[in-house]
Amino acid sequence: MAHIEFDHVTKRYGDVVAVRDITVTVEDREFFCFFGPPSSGKSTLLRLLLGIEKPTEGEIRIDGKVVNAQSPAERNLAMVFQNLALFPHMSARDNLRFPLVERGVATNIIDERLGGIADKLHIGHLLGKRPAQLSGGERQRVAIGRALMREATAYLMDDPISALDARLREEMRVELKRLQREIGHTFIYVTHDQEEAMSVADRMAILEHGVIRQIDPPQLIYDRPHSRYVASIVGAPTMNFVAGEFDGSRGEFRSADGALKVALSGYCGEATEAVDLAFRPEDTVLGGADGMPARVVSVEPLGAFSIVIVDSGSQALKAMIKGQATPSTGDIVTVGVTPSRVAMFRHGDGRRLEADAHHPTINIKTAREETQPC
Amino acid sequence: MTIAQSPIDFAAPGLSTQPAALNADERATRRLGTYLTLPTQILLAFIVIFPLLMELYISLSSWTPLDGRNWLYAYRYWAGLDNYWELISNARFWQSIGRTLFIMVVCVPVELLLGLGLALLFAGEFRGKRLFYSIMLMPMMVVPAVAGYMFFMLFQSGGPINNILSTLSGGAVSIAWLSRPNLALAAVMIADIWQWTPLMFLILLAGLLGVPEDQLRMATLLGAGPWWRFRLIVLPRIRAILLIALAIRTIEIFKVFDTLYIMTTGGPGVSTETISVYIYKVTMEDLQWSYVAAIALVILVVLSALAAPAIKRFAPAR
Amino acid sequence: MAAITLENLSKNFGAFAALKELNLEVRDREFVALLGPSGCGKTTTMNLISGLLHPSVGRILFDTRDVTPIPMDRRGVGFVFQNYAIFTHMTVRQNLAFGLRVRRLPPSEINRRVGAIAEMMQLTKLLDSRTDKLSVNILQRIAIGRSAIVEPAIFLLDEPLSNVDAAFRQVMRTELKTLQRQFKQTMVYVTHDQLEAMTMADRIAVLDQGILQQVGSPLEIYNHPRNVFVARFIGSPGMNLLNGRLSAENGQTFVDLGPAGRTDALPSGLARAAERAQSANVLVGVRPEDLECVDGATESGLTLVVSFVERIGHRTVVHLGAGAQSAKMTAHSTFVAALGSALRLRARAAGLRLFDRSSGLALTLE
Repeated sequence: MAHIEFDHVTKRYGDVVAVRDITVTVEDREFFCFFGPPSSGKSTLLRLLLGIEKPTEGEIRIDGKVVNAQSPAERNLAMVFQNLALFPHMSARDNLRFPLVERGVATNIIDERLGGIADKLHIGHLLGKRPAQLSGGERQRVAIGRALMREATAYLMDDPISALDARLREEMRVELKRLQREIGHTFIYVTHDQEEAMSVADRMAILEHGVIRQIDPPQLIYDRPHSRYVASIVGAPTMNFVAGEFDGSRGEFRSADGALKVALSGYCGEATEAVDLAFRPEDTVLGGADGMPARVVSVEPLGAFSIVIVDSGSQALKAMIKGQATPSTGDIVTVGVTPSRVAMFRHGDGRRLEADAHHPTINIKTAREETQPC
Repeated sequence: MTIAQSPIDFAAPGLSTQPAALNADERATRRLGTYLTLPTQILLAFIVIFPLLMELYISLSSWTPLDGRNWLYAYRYWAGLDNYWELISNARFWQSIGRTLFIMVVCVPVELLLGLGLALLFAGEFRGKRLFYSIMLMPMMVVPAVAGYMFFMLFQSGGPINNILSTLSGGAVSIAWLSRPNLALAAVMIADIWQWTPLMFLILLAGLLGVPEDQLRMATLLGAGPWWRFRLIVLPRIRAILLIALAIRTIEIFKVFDTLYIMTTGGPGVSTETISVYIYKVTMEDLQWSYVAAIALVILVVLSALAAPAIKRFAPAR
Repeated sequence: MAAITLENLSKNFGAFAALKELNLEVRDREFVALLGPSGCGKTTTMNLISGLLHPSVGRILFDTRDVTPIPMDRRGVGFVFQNYAIFTHMTVRQNLAFGLRVRRLPPSEINRRVGAIAEMMQLTKLLDSRTDKLSVNILQRIAIGRSAIVEPAIFLLDEPLSNVDAAFRQVMRTELKTLQRQFKQTMVYVTHDQLEAMTMADRIAVLDQGILQQVGSPLEIYNHPRNVFVARFIGSPGMNLLNGRLSAENGQTFVDLGPAGRTDALPSGLARAAERAQSANVLVGVRPEDLECVDGATESGLTLVVSFVERIGHRTVVHLGAGAQSAKMTAHSTFVAALGSALRLRARAAGLRLFDRSSGLALTLE
């Protein structure tokens, strides 16, 4: 019903390449997320899909049909903009009715849909008010409602909740996910907040400077990032990286300053490679038997857990500890890792070192791992 | 980057280059644009280009309406560039230009500075601001000819201005403003300043309101008093508007006529004869229309040459 | 010394009371976060401290000096706006030098200090660039550098990281704290993000609708919220608050949560505090991380139905419901739960809190 494909899409503005060779398929009924830092090309992709920009190369297909030449109106996509773009001189009700009134849909059908959507979004009591009289969260719901009024092929959202308070954002993302499940349409969502992306997406695409780095379900991206870039961009606090080398013949990682040694078995290859050992703060073990000594630089008490920042002499690392019992600033502790929860990334290309006698190559278009024997 | 500001306006901010293939929708929009502006374009051609050509034609002859024939027959009185040589050597012409320039050099800066001062005053809040706005803008709304007559009466020997001066100085003041050459020029300039300072005031106020308030606040928080704020934040930001106001007023003042003519008709003698008054007299009294056509054309070319760089600079393609 | 004392501070805009009788002390060199949702009065408080606004009632003191009558340009506080207010017609260098220039410092001194600040804020390469096309991350550094260069003893920051992308926010948080320690400044920081406040602040002042709710260190506020607002607002996710009824059995106090079940026996301290309750109707507070699954058919326990599961990296947030009540539980990242399934849970006794249902105040022994 709403199968959306980008096929080797590139967009250039003069010399600047906004997105390069983008190939991704969004399945019907999927909540798909494009995630990346600002200027990584996410908004450009939405604009290309919407039709207000034309790709320099490549094809965009909706349900198998190439839509490059179609105008935005013909593509039947609904959009929620980052700044909502509600008509300030109209009431919420009129804002919601606008898309359908404009298309000449019969009044009774409009009002029926309006009732249903107002219910789902809990804005029934706000319909008479003007945008200026609504709070940020309420306005945002009206903007989403306006997009939902249309029976569109897919719903595009460009960072719709970033302007809201942190608390409200947490609630709205759950509501959006629930809504999407309920109405069963394809949502294509753009954000730069990694927690938000992980919470809402069925699958997400990580973008770096206009290129897709990985497409996978969020938890898979979190657990098995393909490259150093992806590893550093997903997860808060950010992953720890320790530079060093991995000796394939002995199955051991040694940090550059020699302080950290980790026995890691099951990796391919006999050679020694320069790598970064990566491990998440929650997988960092403080005060264990193995590890390197480090000094506690600061402790951030966050209630449910605490972030302990330590200095190993050559770099700072972060550890996440459950609860509130932490070492004090100035203490010397051992910092170790959980061998099953580490990753290694090659220095040169940033790619992940694969374990278990597999050398998977990732076909980005389908995000399936095709494995070859080692 | 966010997408368009409104769901209707799909123009991507700034960057999009129009692709070679336009779809049907875009072509239709372009055509509509052409049709809508066509009438205006035709009208402009008729009003602007045609008279220009006519003027050029006449200026190359020595035709006057006294010859009894229609201007179309001017070719019979072909004079080549004679009119142009005439204006180059005519002393009275050059003196009138000189006087006009003098008025410009005095009035425009005064109007600018007064306008700026008033705009700065109005950018802040004070009691009765609304009332003062109306008062400030009234001079501009007066018909120039009426203003001319008004000042004519004001500057009479026994008129209100002298009366006020008498009261202020204690003695009897009876300056013959409009009959003494230098004073007449001064009177004319005063009239112009009175009438047009409000325009500068408005333009500069608009510019001042465009100075972002947060930046002013930030400057204050960093310890900048009013003078520093003006010098480092306000002035750089209103530079463009200042120059536009300057350009507008300079070009306009070159053409000063109605007020001045009604006040002094260019007198006493020729002491307040500006270029417009000179042209008027030659046209109406001497009826040397071909000579006048030459003058007008020369002035047009000169003013355009001066204005073009200013316009190019301040009206960039957005 | 640069302590700030806010005495009985109120600010009204016509009929609207933006700030009501705020009494707050910020100690010298302390990092205090003003935390609260939009419209709670935190920005108003900042504007009052800096002199942008004049209080309707009350005084502001820097150490022992009453600065209330002193105008904005002479209070000597550093300020960073949410949208930076960078002087876009000037270069980076000119922006940084501004504060020193209006103080008429000699050019050599200005250059030296600009160089030092640029180094610290990693702007050295951009010193002579124009500022109008730079990214928000860089603009933010310029804004901080510009205010820091005059070495104010007091630094006010109004949601400086809200326009910045999530990844950069973390980097800047660390840098700001380093800056504060290095310059030994008193910093007041406005935010609506409780995680940010918890990470950065020595003490947090929670505000809602112009009224100070609670002041304390992050852990104090987290562990002992004074009312339901603070309980809900602090924590990711916030504290669960369930309607319950106190009941006594065998000398022990329990809270009956209706269709959700019943809590374990309240610890003695809490039970005694419960005696002060005005009625038996209370709100039980328990943080999402203090809920755990129990297997088997335990006697007392809570039963809640899974309505939604959020997998966010290192933790899973399970949304639960029972009747009209709802709660969230934080579990490890590999936790699985089917939508609609019922989970048997218990609330760790040490994590239980009680609140009076009508006033919203915590029931404690003090």
